[in-house]
Amino acid sequence: MISRRTDLPLDGDVLAGFLPWLIAFMVFLAVVAAAGMFILHDATANWSAGLTHTLTVQVPPTKGDKALPAAEDPRVLDALKVLRTTTGIIRADIVPQTKVLELLEPWLGQGGATEDLPLPYLIDAEADPDANFDMATLRSRLTKAHPKISVDNHRDWLDRLVGLIDAVEWIARGVLLLIGLATVGTVVFTTRTGLSVHRETIEVLHLIGARDDYVAKQFAWRALTLGLRGGVIGLALAVPTVLAIGYLASGIEAGLLPDASLGAIQWISLALIPILAAAIATLTARITVTRTLASML
Amino acid sequence: MVFDGSDYVVRFENVGLRYGLGPEVLQDVSFSLAPASYHFLVGPSGAGKSSLLRLMYLAMKPSRGLISLFGRNMATTPREELPGLRRRIGVVFQDYRLLNHLSAFDNVALPLRVAGGRERDIQKHVEELLSWVGLGDHMNASLPTLSGGQQQRVSIARAVITKPQLLLADEPTGNVDDRIALRLMHLFEELNKLGTTIITATHNESLVKRLGHPCLRLDNGRLLSDQSDGSADGAPPSRRRRRKGKGDDQSGLSRRTEVG
Repeated sequence: MISRRTDLPLDGDVLAGFLPWLIAFMVFLAVVAAAGMFILHDATANWSAGLTHTLTVQVPPTKGDKALPAAEDPRVLDALKVLRTTTGIIRADIVPQTKVLELLEPWLGQGGATEDLPLPYLIDAEADPDANFDMATLRSRLTKAHPKISVDNHRDWLDRLVGLIDAVEWIARGVLLLIGLATVGTVVFTTRTGLSVHRETIEVLHLIGARDDYVAKQFAWRALTLGLRGGVIGLALAVPTVLAIGYLASGIEAGLLPDASLGAIQWISLALIPILAAAIATLTARITVTRTLASML
Repeated sequence: MVFDGSDYVVRFENVGLRYGLGPEVLQDVSFSLAPASYHFLVGPSGAGKSSLLRLMYLAMKPSRGLISLFGRNMATTPREELPGLRRRIGVVFQDYRLLNHLSAFDNVALPLRVAGGRERDIQKHVEELLSWVGLGDHMNASLPTLSGGQQQRVSIARAVITKPQLLLADEPTGNVDDRIALRLMHLFEELNKLGTTIITATHNESLVKRLGHPCLRLDNGRLLSDQSDGSADGAPPSRRRRRKGKGDDQSGLSRRTEVG
């Protein structure tokens, strides 16, 4: 597959200095794209797991001074009764108004939301993941109890979010594919240039009985060493970038951004990218040399 | 006529060669070289000597005609079998064609390494040969530091290190003094005695006369009759050998030159 023999003066090529930096750039982009893909993938899974089995029932606020505490509002009590008698609902609790105010704080600022603000009553319910409960029936029973009660199982919102993240994930995969193709193209170009530069030496090797393989192995070894060198540089630049993104994301308290930290397997996968890049470079160089030399006598 | 070059190391049959759309540099060249024969290839500059050698060391394909090497018809030999044939041929190029980034030792070792030889054997053989050609003190010298004559000797050492079955030498003594030239020719003689078929292109008429081997004489791309060679009947060596002693052919050469 490869040979450390260096009958060809490949290390002296101008391209030998150029290729590692190009591969470093490719690997940097690939690692960042892959890290982004992992983070989004995890986020989708977390959101799905966290929200799939929860329901939020919203009872609109009463107008004027007639507002009662949530636990005394007959509509809230009716909704609670409906929920607690629904098969598959394992928990239903009124969300305290103080908690509702806390949820609004990031948007309205501290003290922005006062008790004077007409706030809806919220009931947080949890469905049994194993029960096959019917959302449509529940919605119908709740609206029968009071027409303005709404129920949200977050599915629509989650589906749209997951759809968006899926699209971004696919784009990241596309970016990875393009990076791979660009790497192949770069190696093909540099290898062909190398073949052209060393044409006379290769001809001498041929004339003394060298097979194409003998030459191809030397190019493959060169591509492997340059690919690994570039890959390590690219990884060394990408890891701090990924960590910095994670650090910046963790500083945002909105709770909307996904957790940007990666697991051990994901870090190992990222560490394999330079090796993959070097393998692609090696194989590409070898195939390019073999195919090009096949046209020589 | 059925083409059968099986009894010859080299056989050319009506070979023509042109570069691109230019005129033919070789025209209707037909000859055969028997195993262990030794010939000079002579002729004026531009006569086609180097082109003829290029065809023999498989650097080119003829524009027409048939070439057979070691009994193999080159027109039907697959490309992947050419390296095996080339390893049986040693070539001393007129312009040496050494690899300047390698040392003298590594240049000479190259054919052995290409053939997958063991490094320990390579070391021994290359050192011996380089000493023999007078370059024992320059084994690790980089090529550009060597004189033209020294580089020529490296080139010759590279060509003979594998004890090839066919040795093609293009002006191998052009850059060395007479003493070294004679020494190198004796090396060729020794190889020839061991069974190597040798063809040496040269302008050195005194060397040709001194060694007395038969000549292939090229002029303007055509192979001419040569008085040093006796008859030329195209018969295979087995038949020729039977004729030896009758004064028919002492050269191992058979030639069918069609003078147009």
